Amino acid sequence: MPKVFFATDLHGSEMCWRKFLNAGRFYDAEILICGGDMTGKALIPIVQENGHYTFQLGAERQQIEAAQVPDVEAQIRRKGYYPLQMSLERLHELDADPVKRAECFQQVMLDGVDRWMGMAAEKLRGTGIRVFVCPGNDDEMEVDDVIRRSDFVELGEGRLVEIGEFTMISTGWSNHTPWNTHREETEEQLGERIEAMAKQVPDVSKAIFNLHCPPFKSGLDEAPAIDADLKLLHGGRALRPVGSTAVREAIERHQPLISLHGHIHESKGAVKIGKTLSINPGSSYEEGMLMGAIVQLDPKKGIKSYQLVNG
Amino acid sequence: MADTTMGAPGAARPALFLRNATGLVKAWSTFDAFVYSFWSVNLVTLGLYGMSYVYNIPDGQLLASVLIFGVLCTFLVVTYAGLVSVMPRTGGDYAWQSRVLGGGIGFVLAVTGWWFTLWLWAPIYANILVVQFFSPLAATLGWSNVATWAASPNGLFVSALILLAFVGVVVSLGMETYARVQKICFWIGLAGLAVVCILLAVYSQSDFHQAFNREAASLFGAKGDAYQQTIDAASKGGFSPQAFGTFALVPTLLVLPYLAFYLLWPTWGATLYGEVRGAKDIRKPFWSMFWGLWVTIALVVLVILLMLKTIGWDFYYAANAAYWNNLYAVSGAVAPPVPIWPYPVMWAGFLVDNHLFQAVLITVMALWFFGWAGTLFLSSTRVIFAAAFDRVLPSWAANISAKRRVPYGSLALMIVPAIVVSWLYAYKPSVQAFTYDATAVIALTFLGTVISAIILPWRRKDLYDASPIVRYKVAGIPLITIAGVVSAVFLLGMLYEWAHWSLYGSNSPDSAKYLLVTYIAAVVIYVAARIVRSRQGIDLNRIHHEIPVE
Repeated sequence: MPKVFFATDLHGSEMCWRKFLNAGRFYDAEILICGGDMTGKALIPIVQENGHYTFQLGAERQQIEAAQVPDVEAQIRRKGYYPLQMSLERLHELDADPVKRAECFQQVMLDGVDRWMGMAAEKLRGTGIRVFVCPGNDDEMEVDDVIRRSDFVELGEGRLVEIGEFTMISTGWSNHTPWNTHREETEEQLGERIEAMAKQVPDVSKAIFNLHCPPFKSGLDEAPAIDADLKLLHGGRALRPVGSTAVREAIERHQPLISLHGHIHESKGAVKIGKTLSINPGSSYEEGMLMGAIVQLDPKKGIKSYQLVNG
Repeated sequence: MADTTMGAPGAARPALFLRNATGLVKAWSTFDAFVYSFWSVNLVTLGLYGMSYVYNIPDGQLLASVLIFGVLCTFLVVTYAGLVSVMPRTGGDYAWQSRVLGGGIGFVLAVTGWWFTLWLWAPIYANILVVQFFSPLAATLGWSNVATWAASPNGLFVSALILLAFVGVVVSLGMETYARVQKICFWIGLAGLAVVCILLAVYSQSDFHQAFNREAASLFGAKGDAYQQTIDAASKGGFSPQAFGTFALVPTLLVLPYLAFYLLWPTWGATLYGEVRGAKDIRKPFWSMFWGLWVTIALVVLVILLMLKTIGWDFYYAANAAYWNNLYAVSGAVAPPVPIWPYPVMWAGFLVDNHLFQAVLITVMALWFFGWAGTLFLSSTRVIFAAAFDRVLPSWAANISAKRRVPYGSLALMIVPAIVVSWLYAYKPSVQAFTYDATAVIALTFLGTVISAIILPWRRKDLYDASPIVRYKVAGIPLITIAGVVSAVFLLGMLYEWAHWSLYGSNSPDSAKYLLVTYIAAVVIYVAARIVRSRQGIDLNRIHHEIPVE
């Protein structure tokens, strides 16, 4: 009876990734699934100048000595940001040139993913625990190549994976968002993408749909309302459903055993859509907390138990 | 694509580079957050109602009490703002307490404070709806039978049903629609308050005396000097007035638990934050809650001084004493000539000899009620959802309907018991007497949160050390701890007063039974859930256990 631990939207938080890798032993889970959006959103320059280093994490710029840099880097990574040492000239160069900034950011990000793949192999090789990662809409396409190069972590995107007697399909693509991120498409295209995998599933009663975007109007997709300028409306209290109609239709049509989602960090929950149990464990990566779902699968019962945890 | 840089305003260099990613939003307007906080410390709906009990302590100096409360509550604001900065996305008291104190304590304090006690708030709100809207409006329009019926047990119970229907619709429609309604109510309600203040400012006490007598005769059939008869009626019920300027420390402190009825809630303010936060975002939760509290306090001071000038302090206290003493059948109490709740807004309207104007003013000021009462079950439904997701409650409790997204499970868990409690409140006067239990239970929930904040820097050192507030210390002691200790003393003091003194109505045997039942029910639900889930192979203790990092 495979026990699955699912977490998502780690957004570069190294603390969350380390916890994710330890979740197998902590919860006695044989299968670890990272649902997408694993890369960070911000890069924090640590500027070398006049024999010391300066950085800003929060309100004020802080000055540190060289010996303190590793600790500061760890602190920055913990929050899901990427630390990068640079000169003042390089800082101004990146500030002025969006292309160079993008190239620099991508390189730092891919290096980070590569490091995470190495950490996974080092920690879990030989334990019998399998690790699946399916990049989400916030992850650049190049991230897939880094994961493919890993000889331990398995890429989930766009394929069927056998987990015991169960079959998992995965995609990190989403419907369009106001941020115009890397893996977005129309509902129709997303529906076709899911259908191409779903129709190959031999037994949907033992299917796991690992779809980054939650189903529309499921309660797992409620995000704070924003205006055209990406400004939160009504003090951030007004929520709107922003999930995918294509994902909902796929779940309603195929009725898999379980569907796993992320994307909307604030919308933690577990709901039934027909026979399907749909879960979004939410995300609090910036606090270093790994929100996840433990699912005990049973070939006869389907789902023996499930639990949302804040690890 | 890295397409954004951020730095301190006016800084010559960027602090960080951002790439385009989902969820990166610009900060919400502090004003929006302020409005929510300002609404929660609702001067008219809750404030005027809560202060109508203060006559019980005539030698307590109300103005001084309001200011002392403001200072002490500011520490609570600092404490909550600190928690929001450390754990911004966790959903408030339940999550903070669960993570710091443990899931069991978090559940018991959260469900009693944000779920069970809201059953009691429903009839309290219904009573406010009666005394601030239905009853005065009907009386002003000459429908004295309707006004009398609205204030009867049947009227109160029907009002509770109307309120529950209204709240149910708001929960079903969602906050976005209601937030628009709130904004309209905010501006029109403020305009109404300005009119009330102007009327009280431009007219004299003798003008009010005459206007009161005129309307008492016109609307309620009173004869003679109804103003003086009101003061006399209060005396017969045992009320003896004190001069406004009288100050005695202990009685002044005894007023604080009454003020908690409305001034304790500024921390209902902003709890949702952007993921990549700049310097200003750390201060936003504090300032939105701070101004929500202190703008209200400034308005309270203004209203008190205007009532002192135009209505007369003896009359204000006497009118309240006469009304409540007669309602609670205090020995010797007689019915005042104006038999409905002494509503200062209605009194201000009396200064204009036009019933249509008076009716419009009452209606406009009712927007303070309708702009806030819709949120009555908002926190409750969230706590029920959270408990269901944690498997403490059955999963159906978090169900929502497919078409209209109505959270019927949580609504049922709120509305059905609220109807029962409303019935008790309407038809059992002893239940009405422990109105302040509703405040005390939430204060106890706040105390749990405050204790979490006090020990946070040591108990969850990892979270604290990584938070923006780590640099705020006084003599080496974390500011959140200092603010938490002051807040804890403040809350414990009020809890002691509620439990010790009979004048709040919350230390009666019936009140104790009510509280005991709610806390025992919460413990029983949690223990039962642990046993049931354990048999299903689910360890509830595991929910908040942190996974080792290394």
